[in-house]
Amino acid sequence: MKRYIAIPLTAAALAAALMILPWPSHGQESDADKAKAAKAAAKAKNIARAIQENARQLTLFDRQGKVVKTFGDRALYNQPSISPDLTRVAVIRQDLENETADLWVIDIGTGAGTKLTRSKSREPARSPVWAPDSAWVAFAALRDSYDGIYRAKADGSGAEELLYKLPGAGAVPTDWSLDGKFINYYVSQLGDSILYALPLEGDRTPVVVTRSKSEIVAARLSPDSRFLGYRSNETGRNEVWVRAFDPANPSAPERKWQISDQGGLGMVWWRRDGRELYYFAADRGIMAVSVSTSPTLEFGKPKLLFKAPNSIPNGPNAAPGNLGSVSRDGEHVVFSLPPAPRLQQLTMFDRTGKVVRTIGQPALIGQPAFSPDGKKLAFVRNNIEAGNANIWTVDLETGNETQITNDSFPHNVPTWSPDGKHIAYQSNRGTYTSIYWRSSDGGAEEMLFRYTPGAGLQLSDFTPDGKYVMFDGGAILMAAPLTGSDPLTRKAVEVSREEYEVGFPRVSPDGRYLSYGSNEVKDRIEMFIRPFNMATATLAEEVPGRASKVQATKDGPGGGNVWRSDGKEVFYLRSEPGSDEVEVKSVELSAGPAIQPSEAKVLFKLRDAGGANTKFISPDGQRFVFAVREPAR
Amino acid sequence: MTRTLPAYFALATLLVLTFSTTAPAHHNMSANFDFNDRVTVSGTLSKIDWRNPHIEFMVDTKSASGDAETWKYEGPAPSFFRERNVGKADFEGALGKQVTVEASRARDGSRWGLLRQITLPGDKLVSACPQNC
Repeated sequence: MKRYIAIPLTAAALAAALMILPWPSHGQESDADKAKAAKAAAKAKNIARAIQENARQLTLFDRQGKVVKTFGDRALYNQPSISPDLTRVAVIRQDLENETADLWVIDIGTGAGTKLTRSKSREPARSPVWAPDSAWVAFAALRDSYDGIYRAKADGSGAEELLYKLPGAGAVPTDWSLDGKFINYYVSQLGDSILYALPLEGDRTPVVVTRSKSEIVAARLSPDSRFLGYRSNETGRNEVWVRAFDPANPSAPERKWQISDQGGLGMVWWRRDGRELYYFAADRGIMAVSVSTSPTLEFGKPKLLFKAPNSIPNGPNAAPGNLGSVSRDGEHVVFSLPPAPRLQQLTMFDRTGKVVRTIGQPALIGQPAFSPDGKKLAFVRNNIEAGNANIWTVDLETGNETQITNDSFPHNVPTWSPDGKHIAYQSNRGTYTSIYWRSSDGGAEEMLFRYTPGAGLQLSDFTPDGKYVMFDGGAILMAAPLTGSDPLTRKAVEVSREEYEVGFPRVSPDGRYLSYGSNEVKDRIEMFIRPFNMATATLAEEVPGRASKVQATKDGPGGGNVWRSDGKEVFYLRSEPGSDEVEVKSVELSAGPAIQPSEAKVLFKLRDAGGANTKFISPDGQRFVFAVREPAR
Repeated sequence: MTRTLPAYFALATLLVLTFSTTAPAHHNMSANFDFNDRVTVSGTLSKIDWRNPHIEFMVDTKSASGDAETWKYEGPAPSFFRERNVGKADFEGALGKQVTVEASRARDGSRWGLLRQITLPGDKLVSACPQNC
């Protein structure tokens, strides 16, 4: 196959733009041509920016954490895996222009890349694993709508070969056993996890190694194929485990050992002689664990080799092995290093877009939410060292901060209760996504509602009387009554369940209307407002003197949906596709029983600002808080 | 191209992308259905519910012993079909007519299946793969 040489990033971006942008024609351009050209230019610009901000550099470290070398061109790499002979790295490389993700092999010595697959758009290759002789790379890929495990020659010769057509989707290959007989993969679908070993001899019927209700991912076999190292959250926290592996005897009693005790992201890598294993810890440490098998199997205490650079994500949702791998001799680690994360500064604007003030110090920070009295902000601060994201509040007058949550679970969409006494948030833990709250001075956590196992939800609001918490899940609008003392018995009301998608319900301050996003018109998301019965959390279809349903926007909002406290104005955000400029827009709502939206108007525009799905606009509609990104470092 | 709800919030850019975790699917398919236990049923399409989070429909058929029985199926979300130029009208037009459904059967052994593909009148094949396969 063709070999590729490194192209400087800026040249690649320019070439992409030149390929997409049409050359000037001699004839007259129609409006349609102009629109098409503008769309292509926006796409090219967006791609160039995405590459500039996210392209990663393949970097080889030694065991002490010293950079040995960088190699290959900067690109959107994922899942790098060092070949057993230590000469190459298999990696998935995204092509934003063609919307593909293909398997490449990059030579560590020369940086030259060989493309092994030719995936179609939306049929990405993923999760490469090396054969023990370094001659083949196995991977998973979607092909003509079917998921399968494939292999390709590492030198790029020949066509990819289907090893096994999967009955379902989402399998992740993680290892090729050192005896060459098995490829291990796991399926972790909506909470359930199943580990499989795919025999490469015989009829290739996968063996179920284990099945679990808790997450079990990223399994890798010991060199003698007797043990599996993997990550599980069975203790409530991601840790690394080892269990006995005996596919010939699936009914053998379970034997397993917890390896990490301070959190482990996985994946596990075994040294070729089986005497040591490695994993990524929750704090971004590369850990080494000695393994002895005589007289009995014993694992040593994890030892820190070095800490990965801060740009390697290690949050609660970090995928094991996504950005790095350890060599078979245990002497090297390769990372596809992203650029250093850009910090954000919470910044308050007035209605004209003028900066009123900044709040706190720059950090990895976001999701600002005004308290109902407008005097405090809740927000999420990402601790890059600890790999967690916790909710804090800040008093806007004194600047005093209070930590509300303090654990390693994810916390999203901080949402104040109407009386300002509690802050609710959504958090996914194992199989469930649930809504919790804590008192606004940081009290004990209390679950408000637990959703269907494996299903996601997005918290959006409380009803003004505080009796329901509003959210969407599965593209339907729902409200959970905060009745009784047992949250597990609370049944959500389906506020709206339609053929089209609906989401992000927010209740007007007087409780009489509901605003939400829906794609029922022209297949594009717009904001709608409907009469609402707060007492029952149901839509009110026909109420004399009140409008039924009104479409509040016509330009495809991208977020926002925040009411002013007097109910006379609702705000939203909008951006042109491919643009990093955000328009802050307002729709005025007529007084009286029949709500009528005005034409939307732009209040101001800003760039490089992270918006949020929180109530980031003050209740009086005069102040707007965004997390503005600092210049790249 | 259908613009779905996740795109609605995509403008919320970096911070939401960093912190957000919401999953699109509705419940645990592999817990309810066995992807390796496939069953094919031919019968009359008797009812459809074309709503989120996933469509549902029923097929009336007869067992090997001649007893009437009804199978219930669930499929992907309506948006899945829209993106493939299949609409509610295609299914409504098949009500009362013969269809053939291949599905992954419920683990509890009931007459409940997760749609893999359905052949509508006129031999129109509608696949729910890869989502349900």
